[in-house]
Amino acid sequence: MDIKIPYNEDLRPDTGLYNAKLGIWLFLASEVMLFGGLFSSYILLRAGASVWPPIGLDGQSVAHLLEETIGLATFNTVALITSSVTMVMSWVSLKMKDISKFKMYMWITISCAIIFLVVKYFEYSHKIHEGFVPAHDTYMALYFTMTGLHVLHIIGGLFVLVYFVMPDGIKMWDDEPIRFTNRIEVFGLYWHFVDLVWIFLFPVLYLLN
Amino acid sequence: MVSDNISKQVIKYWKIFALLLFCTVLTVLAVYVDFDVEGSIAGGIFVGLTIAVFKGYLVAYNFMHLNDEKPMIYWIILVTLVFFLILLFIPVMWESTLVGKY
Repeated sequence: MDIKIPYNEDLRPDTGLYNAKLGIWLFLASEVMLFGGLFSSYILLRAGASVWPPIGLDGQSVAHLLEETIGLATFNTVALITSSVTMVMSWVSLKMKDISKFKMYMWITISCAIIFLVVKYFEYSHKIHEGFVPAHDTYMALYFTMTGLHVLHIIGGLFVLVYFVMPDGIKMWDDEPIRFTNRIEVFGLYWHFVDLVWIFLFPVLYLLN
Repeated sequence: MVSDNISKQVIKYWKIFALLLFCTVLTVLAVYVDFDVEGSIAGGIFVGLTIAVFKGYLVAYNFMHLNDEKPMIYWIILVTLVFFLILLFIPVMWESTLVGKY
């Protein structure tokens, strides 16, 4: 017997929303507090430091490396902003019932996410190679924790993005197009949030030192 | 009518994209401008974070559709923001006693 889950497409009379949308906003609220805790730690440690970024036990500071990586971080910012606009365009394509454009925008979003991860890999390996590991100083600990958590969000999002363009994910469009469009909107909210977090991580960790 | 609205929306999204890229360039350029006040980098931090807040607003308002949402969503965001700000300002209360400690 098929049981239809209520309010997948219809709006609940009490909230005025379909359930998944309410769910994702509650999830994003918890995410704000998760990253908020880390930003709070950043303020605490930075306010307590006499020099920023601090000098490690080896007498070195990561400051010179940060200047070198501003270009890479800016490139990554552009990649994420681009992925955000293509994500919203993929949702618009579904509203216009244009599935081929939807796929095109989703693949661009996927490409941007992969580019972001590849750049991050080079950035991490360069820092680690130079001896700037999380244990080096409080800045490096914060840097790896905050960007690492953000990277985990990108990786998680990437799996979902790929699922939506694979036959198993996209088949819902044929049977339940409104529900599928809602899924893309809900995932889009998550993806924009990930972009939003980076918008703050970029100046905080790379520029304002 | 509906497709007209969607077309307008599409144009708006691309304009926001261009504005976000412009703000990113501004953020990077701001690093090379001296906003320091009496040896403190507070001026630079203020400028950098102001641009970041504006970019965040553009993403949330347009891409996350906060320009046209249900009251329930606004309430969730409001409560979250209150607790987020409390979380952010807790360390500030200790700031004066912490300088040079880490």
